[in-house]
Amino acid sequence: MMHGACTMIDICDLKTYYSAGFLHRTEVRAVDGVSFGIEKGETLGLVGESGCGKTTLGRSVIRLIEPTGGRVVFDGTDVTALSRKDLRRFRRRMQMIFQDAYTSLNPRMRVSESIAEPLRIHRIEDRAGIDRRVRDLIEAVGLNEEHLNRRPYELSGGQNQRVVLARVLALEPEFIVADEPTAGLDVSVQAQILTLFRDIWREYHTTCLYISHDLGVVRAMSDRVAVMLKGRIVEIGQVADVLDHPCHPYTRLLVAAPVDDKEFSCPVSAGAPAMVEVRPGHWVEATAR
Amino acid sequence: MPGRSVSFYISLGVVFVYCAVALFAPAIAPFDPFAISGSPLAPPDAAHILGTNDLAQDIFSRLVWGTRATLILGFLGAAISVALGTFGGIVSGYYGGRVDEAIMRFLDVMMTIPSFPLLLILTIFFRPGIYMTAVLMGFLGGLQGVRIIRSQVLSLAVADFVVGTKALGAGDGYIMARHILPNVLPLVGVKFIFSAQHFMVVGIGLGFLGMGDPAVVDWGQMIQRATQNGGIILGLWWWLIPPGLAVTFLSLALAWFGYAFEDRINPRLQVMRV
Amino acid sequence: MTTEEPLLEVRGLTVGFPTVDGLVKAANTVDLEIRPGETLALLGETGSGKTVLGMAILRLLQPNTRIEGEILYRGRNLLSLSEGEMQKIRGREIAVVLQNTGTSLNPVLRVGDQIAEAVTLHRGLRGGDAEAAAVTLLDRVRIFDPARMAREYPHRFSGGMRERALIALALACEPSFLIADEPTRGLDAVTKREILDLFSEINPGRSVLFITHDIEAAATLAVRVAVMYAGEIVEIGPVDAVLSSPVHPYTRGLLASLPERGMRPIPGSSPSLITLPPGCRFSPRCTRAVGRCKKEHPELVEVGPDHDARCMYYD
Repeated sequence: MMHGACTMIDICDLKTYYSAGFLHRTEVRAVDGVSFGIEKGETLGLVGESGCGKTTLGRSVIRLIEPTGGRVVFDGTDVTALSRKDLRRFRRRMQMIFQDAYTSLNPRMRVSESIAEPLRIHRIEDRAGIDRRVRDLIEAVGLNEEHLNRRPYELSGGQNQRVVLARVLALEPEFIVADEPTAGLDVSVQAQILTLFRDIWREYHTTCLYISHDLGVVRAMSDRVAVMLKGRIVEIGQVADVLDHPCHPYTRLLVAAPVDDKEFSCPVSAGAPAMVEVRPGHWVEATAR
Repeated sequence: MPGRSVSFYISLGVVFVYCAVALFAPAIAPFDPFAISGSPLAPPDAAHILGTNDLAQDIFSRLVWGTRATLILGFLGAAISVALGTFGGIVSGYYGGRVDEAIMRFLDVMMTIPSFPLLLILTIFFRPGIYMTAVLMGFLGGLQGVRIIRSQVLSLAVADFVVGTKALGAGDGYIMARHILPNVLPLVGVKFIFSAQHFMVVGIGLGFLGMGDPAVVDWGQMIQRATQNGGIILGLWWWLIPPGLAVTFLSLALAWFGYAFEDRINPRLQVMRV
Repeated sequence: MTTEEPLLEVRGLTVGFPTVDGLVKAANTVDLEIRPGETLALLGETGSGKTVLGMAILRLLQPNTRIEGEILYRGRNLLSLSEGEMQKIRGREIAVVLQNTGTSLNPVLRVGDQIAEAVTLHRGLRGGDAEAAAVTLLDRVRIFDPARMAREYPHRFSGGMRERALIALALACEPSFLIADEPTRGLDAVTKREILDLFSEINPGRSVLFITHDIEAAATLAVRVAVMYAGEIVEIGPVDAVLSSPVHPYTRGLLASLPERGMRPIPGSSPSLITLPPGCRFSPRCTRAVGRCKKEHPELVEVGPDHDARCMYYD
């Protein structure tokens, strides 16, 4: 509904529900009917408060969590329809980076093993080829060969996140879901990691879903941004449009926009909530009257 | 802590000595443990350094050969027990859901049956040899091990590095072998040592109750023979005390080794933060 | 402005932790003063020594820690007080808002009871009076329906609400000096802003040491800001001066690292606190470092009104 010709990821009415509470009686709608697309080489930022469902959405898109309903079409392939076996082979095209680099690495594996692992799983190279690739990758992420023999607890948070990136890049994925990859890092380390991500993604034309609650980071990293509230996307568009001229009341709260800004008020819908295009490519969920 | 380190090496040394004795029993024992080697109930002398029993068998030779039986019961039993416990625990904790539910309910049923009496009944009926006894003990012990390993695996199964490896396209078998197993190995090691200690004592208990394998010598049967044939009443200390002390030292050494080993791996467990 | 007698004065504070690998020099000859009614932000990254400084003031560091120097509170040296005297000061005179780590509230006690406990301990109120005081405190930190929420357990509170409860706990006996350790860590943008608003609301006239790695939060709340790097203060001064025209290369680098200010990273990483570089501690990463920077250790020198920096270029 809101993307151009070279769409990489097309998400249509994606739903992920959990059962929770006493005797699993309560249904939690973590992702409640989400639709958007991401173009090839584009980074879409996803913002929202903690508990709004952004992590679940990120994991559902690449089927690390099985969605309850809806479709995810990746470069023409319906990911949600793939068999378990086909999905495993497909996974090398889409990868995930987690918030805590330290827990994303097996504490008992050396850095070299962690980086080589994806190549071994998919039997991409022979032994000598793997060694060479591992060396190339460790340098590509700004570390060097002496780090290869270390284990995660011997490295800093920033260094571990570089190792995670090298491990993910080993498969040359076309799509990466990054879930707050710098949330636990210091500002100066965050800047190092984010510039590295940005340079590498540009070089490889990687498509990316970048999840964060930090608006500054999202602004620096994304082309477009989607705002999530209680399992739904309430506003989506170019970063400058959404963050500088927010329409939805929640987005305005998020960016601390003046409340009485009449110029961009949220469209009102008579019936069910629907997305309205307030400007080219800038969609807002109309609030109920 | 240097003290811990000392107890680690001393206890390890003691266990090694026992293993060596078991391994080289034919070379160390001066007599055939079943043969009549002199006069019955003789006190220690130069030929029979621990005297003889009522059947005129050399007690030192029997003690040496008995080490073999006791260690086989302990270590084989422990190996089977941790293998079963680790496999069951990993499968149950990793897959969760219905698989976990089925395994747990089966265990609930098994847990209601006290394992030592069950073991007694099984040995009475089947009169198993020493190896079969070890397998039986290992099986019953392994059921308890499943729960312990499972509780660790439950948290590992949702750790980011496991989810991340799944995202790389790895299969379940690969993840369990390469990611889950190495992270529970320290715990498995500790469990192995304490199980071995436990099974040795249980094995001796079985021998003492007359359920031992008559084809082999073990310390339990030695103690049983000594008590039932007047060893205590006649005050024949060389008949009763040596197997008793042998059990005590081995059991203590294994317990020490277990605690020291636990201490050694603990910092690593903390480092893992999972 | 500087003529006013400071409420708390830290003089030459040096803190070291002995470890198997060597002595970790967590803080080195730190001089700092907090004036009555002001909020001072202590800005630094992981391992800069900012939390250690806060804990040293409250004397809550491990017993084997090596501490030198003086911490004068209303003229009394806290480091020479007995543990009994220190207990009277903790909570009553100097209170702390602990880092919200999920374990800072006891999970098996009702939130109201935990606050009432602090009230009983310090103000001597009992039973119903203490409970009423707890509800009043929860109301003051803007918790909706405080009477009901006081009866809830911590797991029913969201991250932002837990932070508010921790603040209520610290306010239990109206301390004249508040130490807040990373109160905005892990909160999303909206909640963070609410907590910062709350801070400026509850603290008129109170001195606050605001320990944070969040530059935006420091800019919102503080009157003055001290920037720490590798265990020492590298720049201290009025918040406007330090954050809009920083002098020390580290402060400049830190600000330039912000996504909003261009996201230009500082090369390299913070030094190990066991083997610190000779000379200026920032020199290995500093683009302006000259030979002298690697040899001589710079002192804090005045670079503007009430504004000091530790850099050779201003010596």
